[in-house]
Amino acid sequence: MANTNVFAFAESRSGELRRAALEAVTAARGVADSTGGQVHAMLAGGPGIAALAAKLAACGADVVLVLENPGFANYNPEALAATIAGRLTSNGYRAAFFIASAQGRDLAPRVAAKCQLPIAADVTEFSVGADAVTVKHPGYTGKIIQSFTLRAATAILSLRPGAVLPRESAKPGTVEQITSAIDPSSARVVVTSTVRSEGAKLDLGEAPVIVSGGRGLRESGNFKLVEDLAAAFGNAAVGATRAVTDEGWRPHSDQIGQTGRLVSPQLYIACGISGAIQHLAGMRTSKTIVAINRDKEAPIFKVADYGIVGDVLEILPVLTAAVKEAKKGA
Amino acid sequence: MKIAVLIKRVPDMDLRFKIASNGTSVDESGLKFDISDFDGYAVEAALQTKEKQADPAASEVVVISLGPDVVQETLRKAMSLGADRAIHLKCDTPVHDSYAIATALAAELKGGGYDLVMFGRMSIDTANQSTGPIVAELLGLPIITAISKLGLEGGRVKARRELEGSYELIECPMPAVVTIDEGIARPRYPSLKGIMAAKKKPLEVKPAQVGEERYKLDKMELPPERAAGRIIGEGKDAVPELVRLLKEEAKVL
Amino acid sequence: MTSASSMVFTVVVVAALGFFAYNVQRLVGELRLGHRDDVRWNDLPRRFWNLLQIGLFQKKIFRDSVAGPMHAAIFWGFCVLTLGTTEMIVAGMFPGFSFAPFVPAPLYRFYEMNQDLWGALVIAAVSFALFRRLTKRVKRLQGKETHADDPLLILSWIGVLMITMFASHATTGVLHDLFWWSHALLVLGFLNYLPYSKHLHVVVSLPNVFLSNTSGPGVIGAMRPMDLEGDVAVFGAKDVTDLSWKSLLDGFACTECGRCTSVCPANITGKLLSPRKIVINVRERLEAEAKGDHSKTLLDDFITEEELWSCTTCRACVQECPVSIDQLSVILELRRNLVLGESRFPAEVMPAFESMEQRGSPWAFDPGDRGKWAAGLDIPTMAEMAERNERPEVLYWVGCMGSFDDRAKKTTVAFAKILKAAHVNFAILGQEEKCNGDVARRMGNEYLYQMLAKENIATLDRYGVKTVVTACPHCFHQIGNEYPQFGGNYEVVHHSTYIESLMAAGRVPLREDLHEPVRTFTYHDSCYLGRYNDVYDAPRETMKRALPMLNLVEMPRSKDRGLCCGAGGGRMFMEEKVGKRINAERAEEALATGADAIAVACPFCMTMMADSIKSRDSHVEVYDVAEVVAGRLAV
Repeated sequence: MANTNVFAFAESRSGELRRAALEAVTAARGVADSTGGQVHAMLAGGPGIAALAAKLAACGADVVLVLENPGFANYNPEALAATIAGRLTSNGYRAAFFIASAQGRDLAPRVAAKCQLPIAADVTEFSVGADAVTVKHPGYTGKIIQSFTLRAATAILSLRPGAVLPRESAKPGTVEQITSAIDPSSARVVVTSTVRSEGAKLDLGEAPVIVSGGRGLRESGNFKLVEDLAAAFGNAAVGATRAVTDEGWRPHSDQIGQTGRLVSPQLYIACGISGAIQHLAGMRTSKTIVAINRDKEAPIFKVADYGIVGDVLEILPVLTAAVKEAKKGA
Repeated sequence: MKIAVLIKRVPDMDLRFKIASNGTSVDESGLKFDISDFDGYAVEAALQTKEKQADPAASEVVVISLGPDVVQETLRKAMSLGADRAIHLKCDTPVHDSYAIATALAAELKGGGYDLVMFGRMSIDTANQSTGPIVAELLGLPIITAISKLGLEGGRVKARRELEGSYELIECPMPAVVTIDEGIARPRYPSLKGIMAAKKKPLEVKPAQVGEERYKLDKMELPPERAAGRIIGEGKDAVPELVRLLKEEAKVL
Repeated sequence: MTSASSMVFTVVVVAALGFFAYNVQRLVGELRLGHRDDVRWNDLPRRFWNLLQIGLFQKKIFRDSVAGPMHAAIFWGFCVLTLGTTEMIVAGMFPGFSFAPFVPAPLYRFYEMNQDLWGALVIAAVSFALFRRLTKRVKRLQGKETHADDPLLILSWIGVLMITMFASHATTGVLHDLFWWSHALLVLGFLNYLPYSKHLHVVVSLPNVFLSNTSGPGVIGAMRPMDLEGDVAVFGAKDVTDLSWKSLLDGFACTECGRCTSVCPANITGKLLSPRKIVINVRERLEAEAKGDHSKTLLDDFITEEELWSCTTCRACVQECPVSIDQLSVILELRRNLVLGESRFPAEVMPAFESMEQRGSPWAFDPGDRGKWAAGLDIPTMAEMAERNERPEVLYWVGCMGSFDDRAKKTTVAFAKILKAAHVNFAILGQEEKCNGDVARRMGNEYLYQMLAKENIATLDRYGVKTVVTACPHCFHQIGNEYPQFGGNYEVVHHSTYIESLMAAGRVPLREDLHEPVRTFTYHDSCYLGRYNDVYDAPRETMKRALPMLNLVEMPRSKDRGLCCGAGGGRMFMEEKVGKRINAERAEEALATGADAIAVACPFCMTMMADSIKSRDSHVEVYDVAEVVAGRLAV
């Protein structure tokens, strides 16, 4: 008799739900709708975490398993993995959804290992069948899409963040208090603190958006326009070309290019950058490239998905305002 | 201190790939291979750890790789950087199930007396980021994944992990498993002296005891072609159109 | 001179010569600490010609219009006066000796007159030299590495020698004897002081010029081939004992004149590197090593990484040295040790090394894109021609910059258009081309270089290539001058030379020059084309033929004095953190000519000049010579 219920891990940090939680529940809901089973979402955290259950119910959780324990105020990988594994082993689930966030990438394989189950990681598309699950997962720095078949009574899936859009699907979300499978203080791996990098510069290697400036900005003071645009995005880092770091307008650590950083963000906005071979070598694998330059023959336009020909000093403030507007709506 | 580093031989990622006629592998003609990027950082971190020991000569860095005979080149490269010896777990067919791979690795590592077992946080080609934690579980060792700073103090691993917009300070006792992220160390460049020395270092070959494969590769395909870019307009009047495209077409806003 | 005093004098002479011989033997022993080197008895005609031109006729000395005549006067005077001194000394041992009986009387009188004439010239010259040193603060004569008091001592010594010589001629009796003995003792003392002074160059410089390969014989600027298979204890050089005996001899030949340092682009723009210091350090370290000091090494203790990596390998130092010292070879051997032995090099270079190894190009571009510039131009690849059983007249070797850099690609296309217009039967290698390896070799990475060179040679030989034309001087130098070390022998022509020959044969159809405006160009000489391969005129002639209305103005530092653009020696891939940017220095010089356009013949020079010019918001354009010609093609 095949399992019909679907498990979803709802990630939270510092007492707040992460977007990953809603994505996981939505994914589980989709599968449960076709198997006819229930979605059991799990929340773990310090005292008070149960308050987040309602949001999970709104996305489709029939049951919300709440593990409320001071030992889980910080991420407790071993205790959490043991508890989830215990739950998956004792209750039959068709699938268990995690999101491959920084935490999910750590947690999901631990769970799979404890359950002695295979895992499909960094999944962008999936289809849960009666005896097999098929998934798609990009590899080779995104240059190849691989399709896999996973065979297990319980399929453990770790989805790429953003692969699933959270959807409303109101369900009861009955809260069920659960206890940790092991004493949380006995865990060998201990998170001693979680520190928010408030105001700290987002690293070029991590930032999903990079706004970069080149010599077209004419003088170092104009870099403020680049910084303003990055701030408008909220999750953007600021980069620079070699020409500009050589002039001393920006530190060498900001340099993107052959002798600087090699980056691959979701969105790369090149402001006043001509696109010399030195620079292109550092950013051409970015998913979407926008270029703003007054020279329509500039090589950057050959790699840019979208280009605007014009004076970058004029365009940036307008773009910044537009991005701020767009973000407000989101 | 005895350190094991698990490495994988991968093709150079900067080239365009073609799918082989069998549909389940990459066409290797014209490809150059090297140590997977994150594994390279792990090797460097291991070498630096050894060099920082009170008596480096009493420490050992062992590199291990699973795959066909050709991975021996990659093991020699790791030894040219400074690893002391290598173990080749021979497996001629590609395996994609992290659990199955982990079974083979754990079988080799068990009883090896390693203080630290290091992985790259993921292989740059298959990018599953799962093998390390499964190996740790099979060995019964604590594991910290994706660390950007590594410290060893008083028999404990003290590390830092980057999260989204924040970071964790995290620790565990040794012996332990760690997977290495970017930022720990820049790999060194092999000197000719190192390359020559590596030819003489010990390399052991053993059959890999791969577990049952429950996650199988059906096919590989290329993603849809990147559409040619276009200049969408001139001056600040083009901005609204750009924002629209970023939102609706590129979906990055 | 009495027989008693002549006996005493003979003893003195024997003692002095004996002591000198001891020092010679000691110095030769020091040279033996270095290792074997190429045969230097080959190509005797060339060697004697160098000895004549550079040595005797002071060709390089005269490149300085003030110090040139001054030194020539001292040197020629020295040569002439040596005859007189010899006569005098022999006469001192064998009273009554003279050359007079051996030569016709008029010749002897001529000889006597010259002794006086040159003696006077020498006094004038050393006086001027002293005056110049003491009052003029000549920049290149200063430097922490120099021995500042030595020249003053020597100049004064020579002065006093001349005075005592004249004085002894002008006096008699006791006074004469006094001056005579002073002169003799000063001469013998001078001779024996030489081994302890930088003025050893007096003895060593002519042999050094003779034994040197820097002005040919042999290939100019080719690096020493290395055997990487053998069990080598040391790669390159870490200490003086790892250098060749010739490099050590260079140390003895150096007179600390500073001309090399004064033309070094790195030094001019404020970097620590001083070619003179490199040579002086070699001598200093050698002398310490010979005395038993093994606690230090030339690398790190005397010459630092910072100095070594600042070098652009432009060869200006070698060009300028009046005694044919090869400063550059020491720098390159030390680089080899850093890279091959210890993997020590600027971190920013590593991606270039890795990319050359993985992708055959220092930039992370897909090798599959190499031939893309030729799309739509109907240019066959060697592979395509081979399939049709055809062979082209010439292979156009494009190079990495020409294949991948957007600006350089324009030059590539321009040259291809010229070839097409001239109906030259040519082909390209396309994807089969790999980086020529020069960047790796100049940075000391011989291992990577040999890998690339051997792969390229295998490809070229597979297609039976005989003639190669290339627009990149580095490719030109490598394939033509250094690939023969690995069995690759091809006739290689630089594109400017090739275009010129096509034009001379009337094969390039140019438009009529009706009412074309006068263009003022200045041409920036490429180091690897110029100082490495003596190609200075072809690019200029090519431009003149193409642009009849050309006004070609020269920069103050042009031809073999041309200032490097700053990209050679792997520096294109390194950060420039100290002092003024080399390309800024050169761009300023170019702009100061008032030219409205700058012509280059090298893609690296193109990038460096264009970058610097752009940053000045100038409207002066930079063109490759091929573009100048292509722009005038009758389409």
